[in-house]
Amino acid sequence: MSDPMAEIRASFFIECEELLESLQDSLELMDSGEADDETVNVMFRAVHSIKGGAGAFGLDELVAFAHKFETVMDMVRNGDLTPDHELVKLFFVCGDKLSDLVRQARDGEEYDPTQYADTLAKLDALIGEDESDEEEIDFQPAALSLELGGEGEGTAPGLPDLPGLPPLGGDDGADADAAAASQEPVLHIRFTPETALYASGNEPLYLFRAVRDLGDLTVRCIEDKLPPLEALDPEKAFLSWELTLLSGEGEAAVREAFDFVDGLCELTVTEQTAAGGDSQPDPVETAAPSTGSPDKSGADTSAELPTPAAPSGTRAAPIDTAEPAEKPAAPPADKKAGKPQAKSAGSKSTGAKKSAAATPRATVRVDLDRIDRLVNLVGEIVINQAMLSQSVEEAGLPPNSPVRTGLDEFLQLTRDIQESVMMIRAQPVKSLFQRMARIVREASAAVGKEVRLITEGENTEIDKTVIERLADPLTHMIRNAVDHGLESAEERLAVGKCAEGIITLNASHRSGRVVIEISDDGAGINRERVHQIAIDKGLIDPDLQLSDSDIDNLLFLPGFSTASEVSNLSGRGVGMDVVRSAIQALGGRISIASTAGKGTTFSISLPLTLAVLDGMIVRVAGETLVVPLNVIQETLALGPDDIRPFGPDTHVVNIRNTFVPLLDLGAELGYREPLVDYANSVILLIAQDDGERAAVVVDSIEDQRQVVIKGLQDSYGHVPGIAAATILGDGQIALILDPLDLISEASGCTRPQSSSELTAG
Amino acid sequence: MALRDQLRTIVVDDMSTSRGLITQALDGFGIRQVESASDGPTALKKIAAWPVHLVISDMNMPGMNGLQLLHALRSNAQTKGVGFLLITGKADREIIETGRKLGMNNLVKKPFQPDDLRKAIEAIVGRL
Repeated sequence: MSDPMAEIRASFFIECEELLESLQDSLELMDSGEADDETVNVMFRAVHSIKGGAGAFGLDELVAFAHKFETVMDMVRNGDLTPDHELVKLFFVCGDKLSDLVRQARDGEEYDPTQYADTLAKLDALIGEDESDEEEIDFQPAALSLELGGEGEGTAPGLPDLPGLPPLGGDDGADADAAAASQEPVLHIRFTPETALYASGNEPLYLFRAVRDLGDLTVRCIEDKLPPLEALDPEKAFLSWELTLLSGEGEAAVREAFDFVDGLCELTVTEQTAAGGDSQPDPVETAAPSTGSPDKSGADTSAELPTPAAPSGTRAAPIDTAEPAEKPAAPPADKKAGKPQAKSAGSKSTGAKKSAAATPRATVRVDLDRIDRLVNLVGEIVINQAMLSQSVEEAGLPPNSPVRTGLDEFLQLTRDIQESVMMIRAQPVKSLFQRMARIVREASAAVGKEVRLITEGENTEIDKTVIERLADPLTHMIRNAVDHGLESAEERLAVGKCAEGIITLNASHRSGRVVIEISDDGAGINRERVHQIAIDKGLIDPDLQLSDSDIDNLLFLPGFSTASEVSNLSGRGVGMDVVRSAIQALGGRISIASTAGKGTTFSISLPLTLAVLDGMIVRVAGETLVVPLNVIQETLALGPDDIRPFGPDTHVVNIRNTFVPLLDLGAELGYREPLVDYANSVILLIAQDDGERAAVVVDSIEDQRQVVIKGLQDSYGHVPGIAAATILGDGQIALILDPLDLISEASGCTRPQSSSELTAG
Repeated sequence: MALRDQLRTIVVDDMSTSRGLITQALDGFGIRQVESASDGPTALKKIAAWPVHLVISDMNMPGMNGLQLLHALRSNAQTKGVGFLLITGKADREIIETGRKLGMNNLVKKPFQPDDLRKAIEAIVGRL
């Protein structure tokens, strides 16, 4: 993208996403009755900004819609309209339409007026004849007089007699040169060592010497944190320094000088072009606006102005992001500078982490491809590291040899890098949940039910790809919940429930995975009916005895639909089986819990990342396999008395007086016939999300290590029981098991002469 | 030295798209000494460190709006003489009256073409 306009255009659409998100946040505040005056302002500004940018790119439809939307919001702002339930509902629809228009404009799709006519008509009805505010008034420009200017009629403010500025116009080469010469940039450096800096043998003096090499340096020690001698702990750090450097080398060079103590100190570097020779500017105080500003909200702006000691330049981010409490001598000025800027309520809550950032959002937008390349490279490092470890092992070096210790450190670093890279890809589920809010609004309107969506854990972070690929299955489940899960208002009232149905969307971290739950407070699964339908459709054997949870799981069978008539909402063709396979493709699992009369909860459990997993390397019938560590509850060696026959061709294992079905991995995967005797085998106790367990027999356990996931999906589709593959340290390829899938597909056959089948839970 | 080479300008807008567009347009006019700020307080800080001839500011910004920024500029001896160009989506009587009282030099209504911006700037500082 070398065309600057194309770049600006691209950044406009990204900015639009942020603005739409903040609009959505404000609408939700309004909907929950927690809105204040600023909420409407934030909303108005969001729409207004979108309109402004859209105008610049000639996106007329977007401008026209945003204009109407904005006009109505302005009426709310002025108190001409009250944001009642109906109006907020309309605003939600407007927000949805606005985001549609933004997407259409971005993707260059055709504008379809019929989609917007209804909403525009509603807005027009509210605006009425009132749109007379477009009375255009001409403004007479007031030229800056470049000579001496009195403030004659109070129109033009007079000459730009600005300190430090060369006069405009005229031939003033010499003056300009002189000004340029005095413009050697001044860098203000604030250096506050932490105790750890001294503890690791660093000496500030050497650092200052290194900085002195960059230019003209003045150093001032700040000792106001120094306690009286009797209270002094000689092991602690109390001093900080202020350095003023006249140098053209720039901030990066200064930071480089402090590279050795990165993380051991707090460092702010502020660049400032010397203006008029006064290197320590304090004009900010005088710049504070007096009261009587045109708008009341301006009265408190002076409080938000930074103190003179605060970083005044362009970039001032502390090296260290540790909690301020750990810094014994943090200068008070930094705390003041850390005050959040006047970036309003709805916007991102990143403020807490950056203590002294002068700009509200110090973020970098990176192309996802670049991150993916990085993720892949890190994956390669992990494999490489494993290979190296193996070679070292085989070389028979003593455990305390430098190579081994070095390798251990390498391992630690690799893991740290991996974690950091994964964090780049992680995103809060908030955007996904906001999309679901729209689905709920549209779905409930389509079936005429009143539905409220409650979202919890919106800030839970998960891999971006997972978020994107969750949108479709979640949409389907939300529609299902609205359509089938919740009863009609009459039915709800009849059983003493509130007419408004509630759908809860919750995300949380649970033992190394992210769990997303979709709950409704409807009637619960009608198991009798589900069972009957499954029998009618010939999906199951009528004589089969099924537990409640077995019946619930029938919903996941291909071709199952409970709606007496297929509504156009939940759609046709797409059933819960498709949802389940989509979740499985992400390395996730889905389970149902339902209580009659109380509602149904679907739980989706997902891995945090799609790139690596901690696995146990096992061997079965001469094959090497990887079992994800997070599903293994424990590993046991079977004694002769632990195993009992159960049914004609299956076994159960007695584990501390509970019986767990035995599965022979080798037999299930078709590597070999079931064994005759399982005594002395090694078993992995696998736990499922619903609490069911299974004992999986393997020949031996080799190792426990991190493996890089190499997907098989693209080449082979979904292979039952197999999640993916990996490359081991010795270059061998090993399959990664999906034990839970394996268990649900398992024959359970652990005796050689079997024929009949039993579906395990 | 032409005026455009000497003119120092700061662009104040909370939307990075708008800052980009205006900066881009200024670049097209040959105005290269351009700073930018995402809000009024930041703009005041930057101007204090790097005085400017002309402030081009959006009206609608969180915290401190364009006219409040103008008021702050005019209340300070150091900055009271700068040129001030307001960019606004709405040019109603209230904004124009207040702007006039505070000493606004010119205004441009959104959406605008680069040429509109050029004319508005030239009306303040003269031929670029």
